[in-house]
Amino acid sequence: MKAVECKNLWMSYKTLFGRRKVALRDVSLEIEEGEIFGILGPNAAGKTTLISILSTLLIPDSGSVSIFGMDAFKETKKIRERINMSSGLNLPWSLSVYECLKFFGMAYGVKDNRIEELIESFELSEFRDVEFEELSTGNKQKLSLAKAFVNDPELVFLDEPTTGLDPDVARKVRKKILKIHEEEGITIVLTTHYMAEAELLCDRITFLNHGRIIAEGTQDDLKKIIGAKDRVIVELSYIDTISFDKLPPEGIYSVEFRDEKLIFFVDSGEKRIKEIVKLIEPYWNNVKGITVEEANLEDVFLELAKRA
Amino acid sequence: MFFSSLQKELRKTMAFAYKNIIMTRRNFFTVFETLFWPLISLFSVGLMGTYLEIGENKLAFIMIGAISLSVIQLAQLDVTYVLLFDVWSKSLKYTFASPSSFINMLMGSWVVGIIRGFVAFLILSAFSIYVFNLNMLSIPAGALALFLIGLFVTALLIGMSACILMLIFGRRAEIAAWTLTAIIMLVCGIYYPVSVLPFEFRLVALAIPVTHFLEYFRAFYGFSPTTSQPLAAGFALSLMYLAIFLILSEWSLKRARKNGMIIKLSE
Repeated sequence: MKAVECKNLWMSYKTLFGRRKVALRDVSLEIEEGEIFGILGPNAAGKTTLISILSTLLIPDSGSVSIFGMDAFKETKKIRERINMSSGLNLPWSLSVYECLKFFGMAYGVKDNRIEELIESFELSEFRDVEFEELSTGNKQKLSLAKAFVNDPELVFLDEPTTGLDPDVARKVRKKILKIHEEEGITIVLTTHYMAEAELLCDRITFLNHGRIIAEGTQDDLKKIIGAKDRVIVELSYIDTISFDKLPPEGIYSVEFRDEKLIFFVDSGEKRIKEIVKLIEPYWNNVKGITVEEANLEDVFLELAKRA
Repeated sequence: MFFSSLQKELRKTMAFAYKNIIMTRRNFFTVFETLFWPLISLFSVGLMGTYLEIGENKLAFIMIGAISLSVIQLAQLDVTYVLLFDVWSKSLKYTFASPSSFINMLMGSWVVGIIRGFVAFLILSAFSIYVFNLNMLSIPAGALALFLIGLFVTALLIGMSACILMLIFGRRAEIAAWTLTAIIMLVCGIYYPVSVLPFEFRLVALAIPVTHFLEYFRAFYGFSPTTSQPLAAGFALSLMYLAIFLILSEWSLKRARKNGMIIKLSE
């Protein structure tokens, strides 16, 4: 069974001057159970609107959403018992870590024996009795995530779970998400601005721009879609006229000369490095260093944003 | 099966009582709401009545009005706080994303309103009896209980309408939490009998349940009510409004999910 299935979603908001701003345009997607599914896109692409619809907080203008086979607009209560979400750093301000989890546990109708476990698991024991507004950003995020698991959900929506966190806390949070996913096998749908985060966490990704899905698939699928290439970068110590005696071998698509660097666009950096070293042998004295950069999601993101 | 789902619903309802109790305990202004302003208001009204030498029964008339106003306002505020605390904390979307219903929220917060309103009632009554010799102890306990139930049901209705207005109009309607009770009490004869109101306002007053609850209670002090069965009229009207507000609350919630008001109130 699919965890999420949505078809032809259109959503618009009324603006101050009475006009309607379209936030989602004909969005359709399917998310398998047990997947970590990423929703990427630039600001105002419609990511939060989409996640709000999937988590039953918004009703779209048209289209259908089914969560675990249930109609999201008719069987809302049943769905909400099986899902949860973390979106932004806002929780009831005067409640302590414990009280906050207890409140949400009760609101989800579950007994509070999971609360202590969550406090420990999200490294919040030290802050158990600290009120939400007095927590650091990192701990607020941890609490928001802990809250998202309070009802032992089968599907969790995480809206930018590491935004605003320092790299160390962000790394811990990503590790925690992966660990929970591995241990409990739950479906996770996340939005993020960080391509490295999406690369690390997501099994499949959809790219949204101006409310429309512009690409979807695994990371490799997406790289193929845009024809993303690995790069072998040869750093030169001084600018020189460089010409090659023979044509670059197969697999080396193009060469660019930029900022005292020779950039070779290749099918696989690892495979082609030897050939490139041979090619630049005559200029060896001028070479300061060679680095290989794999095509990454950032390339995909930039290319797709450009195309849209 | 039925018992476990009932337990679950109770737990959800009590979640909102739990949150309101903690938020109330941690916010200093709620002490002012519970004690300071009600006592100041009662004391002023009592002193004014004494100065004007209006007599024991008329003094009771206006003091019952002052006590009722405070009790309703307190209990109603608690119902409204179920949304307001979340709006102020920008956490409304989390509450609405949970499987708790709007009714769970309203009922849970109403429980706290009843407790706070009852505490205020006890303090204000004791104060009135001790300082102004208000004769309350001779009123039958059953009548007193019915009158209080009437006040708390009124508070629920006013709280519900403030919540509905907030879901429709957003933050602009926050003010309704503090003004609705005052407006209603103005029409329903808090310090005067509704017979002194212009005809059109008298009709409006008769459509408000608390008018009848006040008349029912004041009858024990020798003031004749407008209707022969004020208590029945009060509860019948309350039931009717409750049904209407339940439909309206579901409608306003659906509307807020369609136009993104829940998200806007969480930003």
